[in-house]
Amino acid sequence: MHLHKFEKIWLVFGMGSLALFLVIIGFAAFWKGTHPQSHIEIIDPENVEAHESFKPENLGLREVAEGKYIVNIVASAFNYDFGTDTDGKPVKKIRVPKGSTVLFQITTKDVVHGFQVAGTNVNMMVEPGHVSRLETEMKNVGEFTVVCNEYCGIGHHQMFATVEVYE
Amino acid sequence: MAKPTKQQTEPQHNPSINLKGTLIAVMLLGVFILATWFGCYYLFLSR
Repeated sequence: MHLHKFEKIWLVFGMGSLALFLVIIGFAAFWKGTHPQSHIEIIDPENVEAHESFKPENLGLREVAEGKYIVNIVASAFNYDFGTDTDGKPVKKIRVPKGSTVLFQITTKDVVHGFQVAGTNVNMMVEPGHVSRLETEMKNVGEFTVVCNEYCGIGHHQMFATVEVYE
Repeated sequence: MAKPTKQQTEPQHNPSINLKGTLIAVMLLGVFILATWFGCYYLFLSR
């Protein structure tokens, strides 16, 4: 079969790009362990308090080791429950130092919600009956707004919170 | 009805056909796809 010289060039370029992207996907999936955020673990959405991580006293930010944090959140229409502070007021802002590793664990009691810490790589879908987890290193200082990015009803736009990363 | 001749049905193999414009267009598109992909990947790594 005769192929024009230029045709050979763009075929090699196209197939090379395809091979490169497949290698990167394989690397991300098998070496780095990238996977969908809600997987395997299921939970009763009508009784999330039965799960150790989502008991009311375990919600919110907790330091588990030097520079390692866990944040447990229960989403519902139209609120993120980060637990309460010492005055009994609902927590709407969490603070972590720069460079810390934070594991976000979140589930929902009702409908599908989103959990995005805008400006970071934290972006999850939160589905009833599933626990979504994402661990990330907070590399950049700043105030990041947590938003719901899955339309969940009339008060969708009122679902927000703040994550502050300080030096 | 006239039978199609062999010349009409065979694809043309003309080595002198000019594909320079096509090559440039394909390469521009390829470079654009690679550049946007690596741009997004840089955002992912830096955040």
